[in-house]
Amino acid sequence: MTSALSYAVWALLGLALLAVWFRSYAPGSSVARPGVLLERMATGPFLRIALVLAWGWMGWHLFAR
Amino acid sequence: MDSSSSASRAASTVLTRPSVPRAALVVVLAVYALLAATTTAFTASANIVTALPIVAMVVLVLVLWPLRARPLRLGPDAGHPWRAWVIVFSAVVAWELVEYAARGSRADHPTFSSMLDAVNRFYGLKALVFFLWLYLGAAIVRRGGRRQRRARRRAEA
Repeated sequence: MTSALSYAVWALLGLALLAVWFRSYAPGSSVARPGVLLERMATGPFLRIALVLAWGWMGWHLFAR
Repeated sequence: MDSSSSASRAASTVLTRPSVPRAALVVVLAVYALLAATTTAFTASANIVTALPIVAMVVLVLVLWPLRARPLRLGPDAGHPWRAWVIVFSAVVAWELVEYAARGSRADHPTFSSMLDAVNRFYGLKALVFFLWLYLGAAIVRRGGRRQRRARRRAEA
């Protein structure tokens, strides 16, 4: 029962992410496209460091450890 | 056929057709991901195939990114372009923390990484996840240095 609830919330979050993703490509959308979002993060003085660290940590955590 | 429709078709062809360097990059990343997916976590080989892209990322960032960051700024009429992303990512992080801290087994309270661990048991899916991780890294490097490259091109013109 608890795992069903957990997976349901994960599924909802995944759908929300996809909805924002598709919305960003709609003509005249006020939502930034994923590439623009990534560019903003990769050009921020502190965000870019956090972004690179998070990317490296994610790979290490998922594939090596 | 009027000129505006042919021009827009040509523009869309340019936009949709991947450039040769990008196609080559995708092939290289795919081959590397297929190789990396053969390794098992907690082994030296897995450590090496994961460490190599991380080292490459650090080197590329140091070489290609400007020393002083110049954050991307959108015009005042852009509204709140980041808000929806911030809300969704905040919700994902909050739920990840709730699941991580919850009492009970990981099967009852799956985290993002425990779900990906399950996915990584299948060779093809692991190769796909590894490829996406590598592609994201390449996109980060490219986006971080893009404005500097544009400025350099403008100065040369």
